[in-house]
Amino acid sequence: MNRIAGALRSPVTFSVLAGVLIGALFLVGTGADPFTAYGAVLSGSLGADGIGSTLTTVTSVLGLALALAIPLRAGLINLGGDGQLVLGGMAAAVTGLYTPLPAPLTVLLALLAGMAAGAGYAALAALCENHFGVPLLVSSLLLSYPASSLASYLARYPLKEPGSSLPQTRQLPDGVALPAFGSSTVTVGLLLVALAAATYWFTDRRTAIGYEIRMTGLNSRFAAYAGVERGGLTLRLMATSGALAGLVGAIGVLSFPYRFLDGALTAPGYTWTGLTAALLAGAAPLGTVLASFFFAVLQVGGLSMERTTEVPRELTQVLQAIVIVFLAARLRFPRGRLRKKAAV
Amino acid sequence: MTPQRADAEVAVELRGITKRFPGTLANDAVDLTVRRGEIHALMGENGAGKSTLMSVLYGMERPDAGEIRIDGRTVTFADPGAAMAAGLGMVHQSFKLFDSLTVAENVVFAAEPRRFGLVDRAAARRRVRELAAEHGLAVDPDARVGDLPVGLRQRVEILKLLHRGARTLILDEPTAVLTPAEADALFTVLKSLTAQGRTVILVTHKLREVLEGSDNVTVLRDGRVVARLRTAETTADEIAAAMTGRAVELDRVHAPGTPGDVVLDVEDLTTDAVREVGLTVRAGEIVGIAGVAGNGQSELIEALAGLRRVTAGRVTLRGRDITHASATERRARGLAYVPEDRHAVGTAPAASVADNLAMGHHRRSLSSHGLLPPAAVRAHARRLVERFGVKAATPEVPASALSGGNLQKLLIGRELAHEAPLLLVEQPTRGVDIGAIQNIHDELIAYRDAGHAVLLVSAELSEIRGLADRVLVMYEGRVTATYPKDGADERTLGLAMAGGAAPVEVGD
Repeated sequence: MNRIAGALRSPVTFSVLAGVLIGALFLVGTGADPFTAYGAVLSGSLGADGIGSTLTTVTSVLGLALALAIPLRAGLINLGGDGQLVLGGMAAAVTGLYTPLPAPLTVLLALLAGMAAGAGYAALAALCENHFGVPLLVSSLLLSYPASSLASYLARYPLKEPGSSLPQTRQLPDGVALPAFGSSTVTVGLLLVALAAATYWFTDRRTAIGYEIRMTGLNSRFAAYAGVERGGLTLRLMATSGALAGLVGAIGVLSFPYRFLDGALTAPGYTWTGLTAALLAGAAPLGTVLASFFFAVLQVGGLSMERTTEVPRELTQVLQAIVIVFLAARLRFPRGRLRKKAAV
Repeated sequence: MTPQRADAEVAVELRGITKRFPGTLANDAVDLTVRRGEIHALMGENGAGKSTLMSVLYGMERPDAGEIRIDGRTVTFADPGAAMAAGLGMVHQSFKLFDSLTVAENVVFAAEPRRFGLVDRAAARRRVRELAAEHGLAVDPDARVGDLPVGLRQRVEILKLLHRGARTLILDEPTAVLTPAEADALFTVLKSLTAQGRTVILVTHKLREVLEGSDNVTVLRDGRVVARLRTAETTADEIAAAMTGRAVELDRVHAPGTPGDVVLDVEDLTTDAVREVGLTVRAGEIVGIAGVAGNGQSELIEALAGLRRVTAGRVTLRGRDITHASATERRARGLAYVPEDRHAVGTAPAASVADNLAMGHHRRSLSSHGLLPPAAVRAHARRLVERFGVKAATPEVPASALSGGNLQKLLIGRELAHEAPLLLVEQPTRGVDIGAIQNIHDELIAYRDAGHAVLLVSAELSEIRGLADRVLVMYEGRVTATYPKDGADERTLGLAMAGGAAPVEVGD
């Protein structure tokens, strides 16, 4: 009961509702009917036609949100999601194209290669902080650019599909693809990401390392005082984070269009949506899942709203931005009658 | 003693001040009368409402009810500027000075003497010299404030108030950071100020200086005035009883322990702020390190805990060299540590009480195969909360909801529960209520008597004298004197802390 009251009063609820309300004012201002527009967002993303698209988006957004939430839980920010994502995708594409093994094994190998590439590259950023004192924020962000450029170069020159006008690799051999559900675009990638979320939840709540991560995030000097070794923790968290980003890249390549297309992984901005979701949830496992789903709904539903109501889909980005601004201001509903007894 | 001035006119009068914060009544119809020319001590435990009352007086908080009279006139202050204009001045516990500016620049800041629209530096220096000479506050006007010791910085704060014409000075815990000699000097200054007709309100919890330096005492408890006493007619026990609401045994000197084998052996330890320190601590013994803050004690303890790099020397814990071991290895070898800064180092205030109590135990008794069952964490928390009398509504409330004393009990309880052969403990009772101090001291003595070694750092001489079996004095990074229990009175220790010790060597 108390928990429900707490959740209702939390800044997250307040921010989301405030975002929706202010968005409604925008809609009224442009002459649109807010109910129709929001209805279009919901039916477009959760209706029979949209749910597949939403779940595909959730796969990427949640994967990257987890990738960013895990180090964020310890107060570390990995800004290199794009680079790790792209390297993971490229590693998966190369593995998929050149492994002379049966298709199922190749798929497995490609997933692992993607994770390894992302993990290794993210670990590099951690090493830069641990050994050269480059702040992680800076090292992870700056390392991201050469990674994107390298993948771009590979897709445009050595690995380019002969005869194609697009900067893309050849299509993966037949069968080298993640199994999809029915005729949808939703693949077992969604299950992998869901598994990662469950693992994260379990680790966070019920393991000693999860406890150390949380305490480091709440007060890193406290953790260090008690003997939590920061450098090692940073390295492990970044490797895990990069592995997840790489996994999302690999899933992207092992799904339609079954190849590495330069820019295709990063263009939708999943890294930033994921970061937003992780921040919105304060990196808490369940919250990260909910926030990812919320943003996927906005992203997919916004497109459908644009089609059916002529309200530009940018409105959903305005909505996202308002939610974040309110959240950053840590506003919450006044205590009023919900006031709890003050702790001793 | 100072004569009573019951007939003197009233300088500051607070009547029926009530201030409510969400969930607490910080001040409940408080009356305070301070007469011109007196040193009036305002006492009370943490959370008794002293700070709130002074914030109200100084225009930082609006009272919900009540009135303020200065020199008989009713006033309302919108902000501290208005309070200053009415002749009030406050020295906060943490000084508000510019370290990179000179004494003169700090003193005249925001009230500069001007000449052709520019700051007249010569006049500023002259003004500081005049004020300093007039009030016996000798300090070099051209010295950079950042280079001055704490005692002199405090003088700069007082000069600042005098420059602005403050007739009533409010000092918040002014002696917390001073040596006994500096504190004595401060009281000499305060007495000369009151002799000239100025008024001093002293917010403090130190009984000794209140008894020696003040004229009247007002004691607050739970937001209400519980006692108004004339200092000449009261005793430390009476004030302590008023503060806590029960009889308290003050400054108890505990019986000595029975030292056994050497647990910690430190030879010529040197870090950035510690110079060639050698010491040993035996099982069943408390070794106390006395010293004014900033003389290397904190750095020494951090180096021993593995949180600061050792540049030279050797540290042995139970026969094993741990000079360069990590904090984790040291803890595994048998070290527990109660750090000075409870909020920034010793706890995670935003985490729950249960999570705070689990730290360090989470890899040992509470976990198996890397799993940390929440039920085990909760049970552990309930055990410690009960054993050490931590007042927490539930183990799930954040540690930041605890009072200073309760947070310290949590921290000490958690570290004692390690049953480590060596306990490092810094300022165990700083900011802790009188009632809780006794409790913490008893726990430390019991820990020693159970055969553990304790290295205690404290700025409170009564604490060192009450607990320690041997006393070391640190000055400028070195151990400058060593005394056996009862080997030094407060005066000798105070002198040694100020750097005036003739080194005394005793066998142990």
